[in-house]
Amino acid sequence: MPDHTGWLLDLFEDAQRGVDLWLIGDDGARLRLRQDFPLIFYAAGNTEALHQLGLWLRGQPEKPALARAVRRDLFRDQPLTLLAIEMQDPINQPRLFQRAAKRFPDLDFYDADINITLRHAARWGTFPLARCYVCADDDGNVQDMRVLDSPWDLDPLTPPLRVLSIMPDHDPSHTDPTALIATHDKREYRFSLQPERSLLINLRALLQRYDPDLLLTGSGDTWLLPLLLSLSKKHNLPLPLNREPDRGVLHKKEGSYFSYGQIIYRGQQILLYGRCHIDCRNAMMWQSYDLQGALESARITALPIQQAARVSPGTGISSMQITTALHNEILVPWKKQQVERPKTALDLIQYDQGGLVYQPITGLHFDVGMIDFISMYPSIMVHSNISPETPFPDRLGSSDHPPGLVPLTLKPLLEKRIALKQRALSLPSWDPRRAQDKARSAAHKWLLVTCFGYLGYKNARFGRIEAHEAVTTWGREALLRAKEAAEEMGFRVLHMYVDGLWVQKDGCRDPQHFQPLLEEVASRTSLPISLDGVYRWVAFLPSRVDDRLPVPNRYFGVFQDGSVKARGIDLRRRDSAPYVADVQREMLRCLALASSPDDLQQRVSQAIAILRQRLQDLRQGRVPLRELLVGKKLSKELSGYRVPSPGAKAALQLQAVGKSVRPGQRIKLVFIRGGDGVHAWDLPEPPSASALDVHYYQTLLLRAAANLLQPFGLDEDELLIWVRSDFGKQLELPLRVWSWRHAPDILPLDPALLGYPANA
Amino acid sequence: MGRTLPSITQAFIQEEEAFSRFRRALRRGDQIALDDLFATARKHLSAAAYASHALPMETFLLSMLLEQHKEIMQLRQQVADLRGDRDA
Repeated sequence: MPDHTGWLLDLFEDAQRGVDLWLIGDDGARLRLRQDFPLIFYAAGNTEALHQLGLWLRGQPEKPALARAVRRDLFRDQPLTLLAIEMQDPINQPRLFQRAAKRFPDLDFYDADINITLRHAARWGTFPLARCYVCADDDGNVQDMRVLDSPWDLDPLTPPLRVLSIMPDHDPSHTDPTALIATHDKREYRFSLQPERSLLINLRALLQRYDPDLLLTGSGDTWLLPLLLSLSKKHNLPLPLNREPDRGVLHKKEGSYFSYGQIIYRGQQILLYGRCHIDCRNAMMWQSYDLQGALESARITALPIQQAARVSPGTGISSMQITTALHNEILVPWKKQQVERPKTALDLIQYDQGGLVYQPITGLHFDVGMIDFISMYPSIMVHSNISPETPFPDRLGSSDHPPGLVPLTLKPLLEKRIALKQRALSLPSWDPRRAQDKARSAAHKWLLVTCFGYLGYKNARFGRIEAHEAVTTWGREALLRAKEAAEEMGFRVLHMYVDGLWVQKDGCRDPQHFQPLLEEVASRTSLPISLDGVYRWVAFLPSRVDDRLPVPNRYFGVFQDGSVKARGIDLRRRDSAPYVADVQREMLRCLALASSPDDLQQRVSQAIAILRQRLQDLRQGRVPLRELLVGKKLSKELSGYRVPSPGAKAALQLQAVGKSVRPGQRIKLVFIRGGDGVHAWDLPEPPSASALDVHYYQTLLLRAAANLLQPFGLDEDELLIWVRSDFGKQLELPLRVWSWRHAPDILPLDPALLGYPANA
Repeated sequence: MGRTLPSITQAFIQEEEAFSRFRRALRRGDQIALDDLFATARKHLSAAAYASHALPMETFLLSMLLEQHKEIMQLRQQVADLRGDRDA
């Protein structure tokens, strides 16, 4: 009997029986194996209805095996007696289940709509790219298998994946591409889109010769693969996009949905069998994930690679919970039954709250330590054992109850994230693992962030609003304890934001000066906490609308190692023109060079010089159009705008030339003089450079610069004078270190004023 | 996003708007002073949220008083410092 060791690439339902596995063997062979994989789903309800269901099921062509079973539903105190429906052909289960659910709407179904890879993960411990030992017979039927590593390994042995990337030579939403550029192993091929037959023949030869595991495309979901599929049909030339010749590709439709107050657009998707297709253009959050991140998400969520690269982190975290539940024989409800328990208004006032967000003390501050709780909410869930089915904790810290489903799921993920974070501190900057760890860390971060949201989401299978509220309650408590510890140790608390605080104390400017505070906070909250860094200086900005009002998340600063951190200003905003963001970044880097308050004055003059130079570039037409592109998001259907925003106007222009636009899509545009005031970038003809609204871009840039310079005592009007004048260099700058216009009345009172010592 | 309760900022804005007729009838100079008072109350919105008082306006009024008292203490200190300078 041949046995194989290798990596699991893909897994899906076999057309007849069990599942198909694609294995990358140690010898480089790509193997297709088949495994028997019986699948069980359950129905619960009154005895008579269950009996009827049983009778009905016996008459169905799928001929499932029926049995009685007892299992635990998380939201019920007593175990449930159920009808277990077992099938040998997973591919037919969705259809049988849908018919059953339609015919017996009063029954509760469990484990009914679960991705086959999650079921396999719960049974065999598999996950994408898991190292496996497989024992199979001569026909490729798996007799036994063992998984040799775990998704929680820090440095797993990774397979030599064959990656073929196919990109159009132009962005198809902008101009029609004329050729495709295919690359693998530093080799590049260029295929002209005309004539179509030779394109297909060349592409087919490449796919057959190279036989990629991963197809990385630009706009593959929305443009490239649909085009290739239709060409292949038209010329009757089969194109082996799939490794499974008998199967078509899987289409998923486009759509817009609402999440966290934002409309999000997702284009259609095309998924392959035996080979993974990832569209870099369409994979959500592709920029921050990159391939490493996508593979890491797949490994830890056990979702197939091509789905893990596309789904939102919410789906990822609920997949992990489902696998934990299946593994522990906890029922996974199809539709959640339980509803929020009644509450008094007072309860609501007390618990229906989020994290603590303070108003910072605006202005410029020197030598500021930023400390934050490591993954605060997940840490609270794990340490205090917060899960829908466990009793809610009455304190921060360990729980007396056995760990619930949510902490069980999160614990390894949290530990892996902390281990990677610790390793990041010790790795030298040239170590190649750094970039890889960073990508993986980003994947973990999103999963951990959403697991908290999912605890409160009414449609989440294992959500319960009270658990969600318990997390924020203890989060607020932890932050206040940290504040108390800091103030008792003589620190000034400049700002607090949900899980982090900015503190300052005379003489504290090195990491070790903050160590005692970290230890004190850790002992008071029993949550992991770390020093994010010590700022040489940090500036908290007031509201753009009213400069008397501090706002929580608009600040920038420089760490002691010279690295810059900024939030809420133009260079971080996704709707800023690259030109504006670049100039702001350049100015900030210049300011960052200042090592002392005295030095800042000179740097401010230099930053203004940069601004003046770049304004000249703009006025004299030296800024490429591409750098002036602004991406505006459509927040609703076009018909819903009473007064069209610039983004809506650009979308209307696109619609007029027959290009479809959907809510949640980002519309690229440039601001022009006359007409609509905007010109959509994806229109067939480019805007003329002379029509550009230079004055408006100048205003945008000055506003961005004023944001940066305002903590140093310059506002937009003053700045305008400075930029226009040629004698700027000689002028003395009105540098008012952390005593900006309204600062005195924002200052918290010095405890010494009250007549008792600061440490009392 | 759907909210069961208004956020503290929403509650604050509602309270401020509830006084719009009062504000309108004030002289211009008094209007500015009133706006300043509301602006100072805003600095303690997070504390007001944490307090989760059934009548948030009381917390806002107390915040205004607090800021005013701070200012008095600071001015008092400045007066004392100036006197000290003169006496020295």
